[in-house]
Amino acid sequence: MSRAIQVRVSESVVRTVHVEDGVQSPLELLPVLAPDRMAELLAKELEAQGFKRDGKLATRKDPDGVEITVDLEAASVSVKLAANSRLSEQVDLETRAAVETQAQAENRLRDAAIDELEQRLAAKTEALRREVTDKLEKKLADLRGELDGSIGRATVAALTERAEQLGKIEEIASDEAGNVTIKVKL
Amino acid sequence: MTDNIDDEDEPPATVAASEAEIIAMARALTAPQALDVWGLLAGSRSMPAKVGPTCAELVGDALAQVWPALWRRDGARPGSSIRAGKVVRGRGWERNPVAPLEHSPFTFALLRWLVEMPLATPGAVDKLGAKPTTIGDQVVAYLALDLATETPAQLTIARSSQAARAPLAWLGFAHLLPGDPPESAAFDQLVTGPGTVVVEALQLDLAKRWRAVELTKRAVSDPDELIKLGHGQDLTLSRFMDACTRAGRRDLAGFILDAMLPLLARDVAPFPNDLDRTKPLSVRMAARNAAGALLRGLQTWCDWDRAHRGVRFLDDDYEASQLLLTRFETSARHGADILVPTWLAQLASLAPTSGIGSATIETPEENP
Repeated sequence: MSRAIQVRVSESVVRTVHVEDGVQSPLELLPVLAPDRMAELLAKELEAQGFKRDGKLATRKDPDGVEITVDLEAASVSVKLAANSRLSEQVDLETRAAVETQAQAENRLRDAAIDELEQRLAAKTEALRREVTDKLEKKLADLRGELDGSIGRATVAALTERAEQLGKIEEIASDEAGNVTIKVKL
Repeated sequence: MTDNIDDEDEPPATVAASEAEIIAMARALTAPQALDVWGLLAGSRSMPAKVGPTCAELVGDALAQVWPALWRRDGARPGSSIRAGKVVRGRGWERNPVAPLEHSPFTFALLRWLVEMPLATPGAVDKLGAKPTTIGDQVVAYLALDLATETPAQLTIARSSQAARAPLAWLGFAHLLPGDPPESAAFDQLVTGPGTVVVEALQLDLAKRWRAVELTKRAVSDPDELIKLGHGQDLTLSRFMDACTRAGRRDLAGFILDAMLPLLARDVAPFPNDLDRTKPLSVRMAARNAAGALLRGLQTWCDWDRAHRGVRFLDDDYEASQLLLTRFETSARHGADILVPTWLAQLASLAPTSGIGSATIETPEENP
């Protein structure tokens, strides 16, 4: 008669995971002046908003970790948020088995423990990713407003330059709705 | 009178039961209302290796009804076509020379497969080996998919019948077919020869179906589903529209205008407002962009329209350009030039807002 024993397996894992989410979107920049000049004017506005210019790119990393990159040449913006986390998990499993089948039972239990660990890590990683996504999503509405403002000011600057090319500017008036009227004497 | 007496004396054609089902299937493609379509599609039957000459002849007779069936869809409506840069007016058969549809062995293999397989039970269906090569094959594949509309068999046919190798099937059923559509050159078959007549006759059919799919996008919640749908639609439309341009037959892409017109008129944008919020933002944004496939087709029409406006009276394709300008006019009146880029920008926006507009669309209007 075989003797029953208790088999216990303990597995643990420590893993550093990296999650990120991001979006890319075109910028609606009106072609008032040549593309190069429009890019310059936009870059100037972005620099005033804390962006750093590096060639055709203007980038900013906010304190909350969100990275914003404006491609001045392609007139597009990409926004990215990443997070790293050190995850640790431990699983303890036990079962009863006949002494003759101890090795097989231990292997089965170890496989089950590894599967369980992977599932827990996947769930934690997914939770972290969702946290990143939520944070980024909340940020986007404000960011869109900020970029729209920069684009609007760059467009007004471009219109002003264009008006100067046409004649002498007599008056520039703007209202609360953001409409700008430029009077030019030809 | 004598002929009638002879006909009555002639004994009725006799075929095996399995052959009778192939004949019924061939007839169902052109006259589905006359037969129990679901019974035909859902049932299965083991087929003999060969069929008799009577069966072959009767299947040939049934397939000879494909043209009338196509004319009944939209070809009988008076319209205009571009032929060699000039405009031809009249009904479908008046505008186009009559040409028989060629079929390869695929057509018969497909009919046989449709009868043999229990199409309502996807797991029990073997893939069809034969591949469509002729325009006649493509029409039969299209009609088979259409025949199974609103039945579970439609998806089985789309996935297992090699219909995905037929550009015409993509034009009608891009939302169902697996993988990518054939390369751009394969679409040339639809814009030259009898293929043009087929596409002309299916204009209303295509417009209705593309519009119906467009309306479903608003309720899709799985971003991956929308990405796949948009990918297939984008490739299909861009490849077909490129082929139309190469062949000087942009009029064949008119169904895109007809599909979008009621949506423009009612301000119904394909904004997917219920995307699963647990999915990454990058995936949801890709899905929103994918939802604009038909809009991008209309955007191409807007670009074409600008080019057509520049064609002068003395230019060779003036007449064709004038027809295309007229064709686009109604869409332009409904603000296509402004709405399409605005909607596409909204779909690609960093922080999109919800679209407004009624999802209830009237039965498609017929265009002049």
